[in-house]
Formats: sequence, C-alpha cells, structure tokens
Amino acid sequence: MTDAEPIWLIEMQSISKAFGASRVLKDVTLRLRAGSVHALMGENGAGKSTLMKILAGVHRSDAGRILKNGEPLHLPSPREALAAGISTVFQEMSLLPNLTIAENMFLGREPLTGSGSPDRRKMRAETAKALAELDLRLDPDQLVSTLTIAERQFVEIAHGIKADASVLILDEPTAALNAADVEVLNRSIRRLKAEGKAIVYISHRMDEIFDMCDEVTVLKDGQYVGTKTIRDVTQHSLIAMMVGRELSDLYPVRAASFGQPVLELTAFRASGKARPFDLMLRQGEILGLAGLEGQGQQKIMRSLMGRFVPAGGSLRLHGQALKFPRPVNGIRAMAQLGVGFVPEDRKEEGLMLGLSVASNLVIALHSERPAFTRARGLGSVVKQMMDSLHVKAASPAIPVGSLSGGNQQKVLLGRYLARNVKLLVIEEPTRGVDIGAKSEIYRLLRDFANVGGAVLVTSRETIELIGLCDRLAVVHGDTVVAAMPAADATEHSILAAALTTSEVAA
Amino acid sequence: MLRRLVSVPPAYYVFGLLLLTLWLARPNMLNPNVLGIFIRQVVPLGILVLGQLLVMRVRSIDLSGGGVILLINYIITSRTFPEASGLTFILMALAIGGGVGLLNGFMVAKRRVSAVIVTLAVSIILVGFVQFLSSGKPPGDVPKYMNEIFNISLGFVPLPVLFWVVCTGIMWLVMQQSVYGRYVEAVGENAEAAAFCGVPVERTVVMAHVLAGLIAAVAALVQTGSIAVGSVRVGLDLPILAVAATILGGVVFGRGEGGVWGPFFGVLSFALLFVVMTVFGIGDPGKLIAQGLIILMAAILYGSRSKRG
Amino acid sequence: MIAFIRSGFSTRRSRHGLWAVPLVIVIALLAALTFGTDQFASGENLANVVSQAMPLLIAAIGQLFVILVGGLDLSIGSVISFSTAILSLDGPAVVLIPAVFVLAGLVGLINGLVITRLNVHPIIATLAMQYILLGITRILRPVSGGEISGILIAAVQGSVLGLPLPFLWGLLAIGLAAKILYGSRFGLHLFGIGGGVAAGMDDAARNYGIRVERNIVLAYVACALFAALAGVFLAGRIVSGDPNVGLLFELDAVTAVAIGGTQLSGGVGSLHGTVLGAIIMVLLANGMNMANISPFVQTAIKGGLLLAIVGLQSRKKMGL
Repeated sequence: MTDAEPIWLIEMQSISKAFGASRVLKDVTLRLRAGSVHALMGENGAGKSTLMKILAGVHRSDAGRILKNGEPLHLPSPREALAAGISTVFQEMSLLPNLTIAENMFLGREPLTGSGSPDRRKMRAETAKALAELDLRLDPDQLVSTLTIAERQFVEIAHGIKADASVLILDEPTAALNAADVEVLNRSIRRLKAEGKAIVYISHRMDEIFDMCDEVTVLKDGQYVGTKTIRDVTQHSLIAMMVGRELSDLYPVRAASFGQPVLELTAFRASGKARPFDLMLRQGEILGLAGLEGQGQQKIMRSLMGRFVPAGGSLRLHGQALKFPRPVNGIRAMAQLGVGFVPEDRKEEGLMLGLSVASNLVIALHSERPAFTRARGLGSVVKQMMDSLHVKAASPAIPVGSLSGGNQQKVLLGRYLARNVKLLVIEEPTRGVDIGAKSEIYRLLRDFANVGGAVLVTSRETIELIGLCDRLAVVHGDTVVAAMPAADATEHSILAAALTTSEVAA
Repeated sequence: MLRRLVSVPPAYYVFGLLLLTLWLARPNMLNPNVLGIFIRQVVPLGILVLGQLLVMRVRSIDLSGGGVILLINYIITSRTFPEASGLTFILMALAIGGGVGLLNGFMVAKRRVSAVIVTLAVSIILVGFVQFLSSGKPPGDVPKYMNEIFNISLGFVPLPVLFWVVCTGIMWLVMQQSVYGRYVEAVGENAEAAAFCGVPVERTVVMAHVLAGLIAAVAALVQTGSIAVGSVRVGLDLPILAVAATILGGVVFGRGEGGVWGPFFGVLSFALLFVVMTVFGIGDPGKLIAQGLIILMAAILYGSRSKRG
Repeated sequence: MIAFIRSGFSTRRSRHGLWAVPLVIVIALLAALTFGTDQFASGENLANVVSQAMPLLIAAIGQLFVILVGGLDLSIGSVISFSTAILSLDGPAVVLIPAVFVLAGLVGLINGLVITRLNVHPIIATLAMQYILLGITRILRPVSGGEISGILIAAVQGSVLGLPLPFLWGLLAIGLAAKILYGSRFGLHLFGIGGGVAAGMDDAARNYGIRVERNIVLAYVACALFAALAGVFLAGRIVSGDPNVGLLFELDAVTAVAIGGTQLSGGVGSLHGTVLGAIIMVLLANGMNMANISPFVQTAIKGGLLLAIVGLQSRKKMGL
C-alpha cells in the first residue's frame, strides 16, 4: 500500500437515495481504511443514518456503488451485508425482546452441535466472553426484555463486535451511556482498531470524536461536504462544515410584540429523573423546542395531547388550569379547547393517504359533530383552504397520497387551520418538503401567529427553528437546558448549549 | 389501464359473466319472475352483507351473524313465547343482535382481541346454546304471517327484494351523508391518523359492530320468513358468504372503493352463481370451493394492490 | 428446577408464557376427576382419555408453530377431515399415508406463500383454504364411510407391553416438535420472528439476516403436516373417512394453545404449555361427559373458554 494510492477497505461511491419525493442522499462518497476509526458527522437529518443503512443492506441505494477491497458488493438485504463482514449497531433498538442475550448475540448465525441443535453452551460461553470484554456482568441467559436501556445498548454493541466482521458501524452508540460506560466502549473500539477493522462512528459528542477517531466525513442536507483527518480540524471548523448556511429570505419577519399567555407549563417533568422546568407561550408567538434528536421534545409536545403521560407539572391554557389530557380522548378534548396537533409522521399519523384532499381537510371539522348527524358539505371550506394554502392538486377529489410532499404537508396544516385553532402544536413542519413549499409553510405559520395564534414547534432541522421561531428552548435529557431569542441563536450556540450539558445519567 | 380495470369491483364483471353464462345455457330462465324468486332467496344474505361491509370498512370482521340468525329463528319458531306479537319478536331480535354486536365491539375495540376469534367464539356459543335448547331437532313452524309477508310481490318485484334495496339505500345514505360515514372512512384508511384528527376511533368500531349485530337481527327476521319450518342449521353459512360477497363487491379491510352497491352486486353474483351451479349440476362441495376461491382471489387482488400503492 | 417452574408464572423471566398456570389447572382437574368420580381413574377410561386427547394435542402443536410467528391457521380442521377422506379411498396404505402428508404439505405451502408473497392476512388466507379444502373433501367423501387400512387401525388402537399405542403417537409428536422448536435454528428463528412482530418491529429479525418469509412459510407447512398427522390418527380411531370430523378443530387448537399460556401476538409460548392446554381441554370434555352435560352445551362452553382466554390477552393492534 502506498500513500499515493491507498487501497480502501470499503468505498461507497456516488450514493444517492430518495424516499418518495424527498431526496435524502445525493452523490455521497465515503471511504474507510482498515485499522481506523472514521467519524461520520452532520446535523439531524443530514443523511448519516440512511447512508449507514445502505451499507448495512437495510436500504438499497438508487444510484452509486459499494466496493470492498476494490471488488463491487451487492447488498440487497442485511443478510448479504453480514456475509460481507459488515456489522452494525443501530441507533434504534433492534434486539428481540423475547430472546436471551446469548440468542440475540448469535441470531442468524448460531453455532450447531453434532445433532443440529443450536449449541447453547458455546453461545453462552462466547457471549459471556464478549460481555466480559465490555466489563458487563450479565447472565447470557437473561431475556433482553429484562435489561435496562444502557444494558441493551451494550448488548447491541457486543452483538456488533463480531470476530469475523471487518467493518463495524456504530450509530450513536453512546446516546444511552454515561461517562464510565463510554470509556469501556472506547477501550473496545481501540482494540478493534488494532485488530485492523474499519469502524464508522456516528456521535454528536465532540470530545468522543476527537478522542476516538482518525478521520471525519461531514454530510450536509444529504450531500458530501468533505473528509478530513482529525488532526486537521478543530471543534469550531468541524461545526462550521456541518452548518455553514445562509439564512435567506426563506423566513418571514418575526413578531414585534406578543399578547396574552396561551400555554403555560409549570414545574413540568417529562420523566422521573429529569429536572423540572417552566415554559410559556404567548399569543402571536412561535416557540421552538430545539436540540438534538430524541432528547424529549416529543414527550413535551405529546403530553399536551394525552399521548404521553408526564411525571409531573401543571398545565394552563389561556390562563385556565387544566389536567393533563388522558390518552383515550386527549386529542378530542384538546381540540375542543382550540388546540391542534400536527404529528411528525405525515404518512402514518397525519394523513389518510388513500382518501381525497377534501376528506383530509375537513375530517377534523366533521369530528366536532355527533356521529349520526348529516355531514356538512364544506365544499366552500375546502376551496377556501386550498386557495389560501396554494395546494396544487388537480381536484379536491384526488387522493392526497398522489400529491407532492409539500402539498401533502399543506393539506395536513390546513386541516387544523380550517378549525380556527388558537394553539398549533407541530412536530415537524416541513419534513420531506421541497424548498419552495417550505417557504410557503413558514409564511402560513407566521400569518397564523400574526392574527393571534400561538405555535409550539420542534424540528430536526435546527436552522429551520432559528429562522421560523421567535424564541427557542433547547431541550436535552428530557428538560429545557437553555432558552434564547431565536434572532440571537445560531446552530453553533444551540449545539453548544445542548452538548455542554450533555452528561445525562443513563 | 389495468389499474382502472381493477378499481371496478370484481362483482360487476362476475355478475355480467354469470348472466351471460345463464343466457347461453338456459335462456328461458332469464325472465323477471324466475330471477325475482332466485334473488328473493339471497335477501337475508344481502341484508347481512350491509353489516359485514360496515365492519370490514373499519378493518374488522363479523362471523357471529350465523349464531344470531339461528337464535332468533329458534325463538320465533319454538313457540317459547307463544303470546308474542310480531312487534315483540322484532324488538327481541334487535335486542339480541344489538347485544351480541356490543359484546363483539367491546372485545374488538376495547380489549383488542382478534375479531375473527371473538366473533367465531360468539357464534359457537350461540349455536351450542340453540342446539342444546332444541336438542338438535327442528323447533317448530314459522308463524304464517311471516311467510305471507315474505311472499308478497309488487308486480314482479318481491317485497323482500324491495326491502333489501331500501335497506341498502339507507346504508348508502349513512355512508355518504352522515358524520359517522366519514368516521368509518377515516378509521378504515388509517386509524392512527384518524385518532390524530379527533375521530373517536374505538367508539366508531364499537358502533360498527353494534350496527352489524342489529342488521344481522333484521336478516334473521327475513330469513325466518323465507322458511316454513324452523331449523337448527339455518343461516350458518351466511357470515362467510357475506365476507365473500363483500370482498367480491370491492370492499376489503379498510378500503371501500366498492361502496355499498359493489357488495350488493356481490350478493346478486352469488344468487346467480348458485343458479348456474345448479344448472350445471355442481353440488354443495363445489359451492364451498367457489366461496373459498372467491375470498382468496379477491383478497390476493386487494393484497397485492395495497402493497403496490 | 424451582427457578424454571417459577418462570412459568411470569411473563418476564422466560418466553415460555404462563405455562405453570395450566399445570396447576391440570393437577386440579386430575384430582377433581379422580376423587369426584368413580369411572375416571379406571384404566379403560384413562386409555380412552389419551386416545381422545391425541388428535387435539397434535393439531394444537401444529397451531403453535404459526401462532409463534404471530399468525393463525384456520384451515387445519379441513386438513384433518381431508386426511381421513384420503385414507378412506381405495388403495394401499403405503401410498395413501405418504400422499396425505404430501398434500397437506402442499396446503401449508400455499397458505404460507399466499400470506407472505401475496400479502393476504393469515386469517383470511386460511379461512378461504378451509372452505376450498372442505369442498374437495366433500367431493371425495360426501358422507362418513370408506375403509381404513388395518395397519393404521392397529397402530392407533393397539397396545405394546400394556402401553396403549396412542401414547407413542403423542410422544412421537411431542418429541418431533421439541426437536424442531428447541433443537434447531428454525425453531429459534420462529421465536425471533414472532418476538419482532409482537413488539411492532417486523423487520428486526430480518436485520439479523434471518430469512423471515421462508421461515413463516415453513411454519405453515409444519402446521399443516401436524394437522395431517392428527387426521391420520383420527382415521385409525374412527375407522372411516369423515368429512365433518375436523369441524371446529382449528378453534379447539387455538384454545388449547392459548390456555397453555402462549400469546397469540407471537414470540411467547411453549410446547409443554400447549400440551397442558390440550390436556385441559380433553379432561374438561371427559369430565363433562361423565357429568352428562349435553354435547351442545359443551360446544358452547368451549366457545366461552376461547372468548375468555383471548379476552385476557392484550395486544396493540385492533381488528382482524
């Protein structure tokens, strides 16, 4: 091997991937060396996880190819990826809860005894060995469903570290771990590196990146930004590579003044261990819950609809004290109080894709009325909403699923705007939406606030929250760790606010 | 083009095809009087289908109709209540149907038990109960006035057929015009999203089962009118035929392209199918196979479509 | 051992389900029948009970395979009737018996392929198969009749060294199922697939490189083959082909599996629990017979039992 022409263990060339109308990866390249730890960095939604799922055979790329030692690989399913020596520890839990640790460790590649049975003794012994290397004292025969989150995370890691794998993907392995656990993990990673394996490491914790990694590749909006050796970058320059975008006139002008409080949360505790916090939202205001993905933003929002039961705190709406809504009728009860909730997953929780645009727009209006009464025509409401939202559809009768992502999102918002709600709770305002429609949606939300509405919003895209909101609350570890006017916020300052307080007990 | 073709419920083709077959094989049978008699025989099925299509629209199923029909038929023909008037029978029937529907709905929507298992178990309980009461022997005669009402014809249109058309029309109105129809549509398409719209999902499903139970009670009354002597086997094959006719009519778990009239033609297709099979000397086993194949083919057709979409 | 039995009362410690509860019920039923009646403990009645238990036991074991992957097979009653009809045809037993298993395997294969490849709900696919196969059976044998090979009758009704042969059938079926479920990769993968389905992560097992579709198809094949075995046994016992003998067997099998502590949502359950569940069903039937309870009421009670037992199991999904 010469420096001029390095042989890459794995080379992903010009990978592109789209889910429906939204393009997640565009022409991305990633090259991994044997015996090195490669950090993959980018903001939420930059495409890191999708790229790794393509390498793991979970998703198939639309274009591009993957080479191992210069030979093309075909990875139609995880089975082939595993056979090619590519092993993955995914961000979300994928252990099977009804199997033991040992069975999970060897599932799909169980050693057999002479009689063809899975060799439980061998599985148990090797599992115990693998767990010991991670300083874990767990019974290999324990069911995974009885483990804590951190223990599961370690079992996932132990599962990924296979003797015959030459590539190991670690997708945010430390999210559920405390500092001591992280050190144990780091030791294992160094050992694997010394054994000549290539490791992809995805993490938002800067100290880990500089501590562990040799090289870093940065993605932004699904595009390749660059690859650097870790010695050539600083924290500052790395964040600049990840963010570095101009705030354009995509966003409407912020509000000058606010009215009465609409929503007040006091001493709110999302989970038992989280620190209590207060939150207030006023008429005319758009408040964003910022921070890294999955830090409790969703719990806070869903506790307003009864879809999550908080550990404590009190709720006031328009000055009136309320109980937190219950799961069984929370959405209906809050709807009657003028609260609209826009769920993040448009396809699963938001729209009824097979039904018409008109049906999707007016269903929330229908649901205010008793079941056995005549359904009002509401054709004029549909027309008015489609006009004011600029929904591009051949007719109100076509299935909403045939529209583009942006138009679908507008229909989803329109459903709640048609109801004259006073408070909109929005999980992802513009997920999978093209840039033009984004701008329109921002304007719609601002118009809604300007006529006295209030908006509570979260988003994976921090830049969107900065541009759209009046005020930001940074959420980390199920609590609000910082609050700032959006006008003064930068991606850097938000990331810093979240990460500097990032020692969360597992 | 293919997509457009499959979006027309299969019932319409099958109906046309069977009509053509009958016209080629037995042209003399294609007169209104004969067809009226044939169609009159499937009216109980046609009414039962109205409940089946409702529960299938909300991704459930009701196989308890056979037990409901059997029990009501037994109560009327066994003279357990010799003093009872027609109105009393109707109220008793509706109480039984509504009660069974409420139990089904509670188990399916609140307890989240598999609808097939719940409604099959309920049917087994009812059938066992009736057979115990009657010791397996035919209970007795159907009151004369019920047969007489069943046999009324307005011109060449038998009264039961007219009643069926009116019932179907009412169901069409409910699905088209009522808020409940919108709920059913939304829950069937995506229950999770419907809940986020403020639709009372569980209540909608419970109500669908209650309505299906009430409709089964009406079907039981018509079925009882169609026979002279009570029986301990009457109506047992109707629920599965109702599933087949509903799927054939383009209504399948959560999807309702066929509306109310698709299943209507599904039932008419079965009426003709039985005639055609009799004409060609195909017996009961052949009918069982045809039922199974129709369910399978229609489910495959819709299964593969939902995968593509 | 104590830890093992304790785990049978908890759904946390093992994936065998609540199998110790049916064990307690079996012991209680045995005690009640032995001391409450004169006839139960007689050798003749016990042999009769074992013979009665076998078809349900074998069919329930088959049902267990598909329930473990979160499925259900409603066609096994028809497979049983169909098997007796085939065996009552004219022909040598050496041809008819293998033919039963080949045809049943084909039925399971079709069920599995329709469910996995054509995306049809298991209940609908197997319900349709139930009717198709019932129709074919009634063509082969419209009413009960025909002759069953003497070898088969002897194999079901005879005894060796004082041990009634049905015992051996039961041991064979249990041993075979134990080998498949606990002594093979396939068995472990069935638990894994079902665990993923029950937890709402349908793709979890696939991410481990397991061939999910193929294993599900094989589970339906295994289910149909066990149903065929039950049918072969039953043919030897009733000494004729009967198109109605398998009626409602599929639901009795589901009830037995569910009483045995197996979760219908998949991934949690056990063979020994299923065996215990089948024994409970048969002991109940035997007890009710001795108490002269009408067979119609017994049917109704079985329906109520099924309703109660599935009502106690909770799941997330609503509908079918």
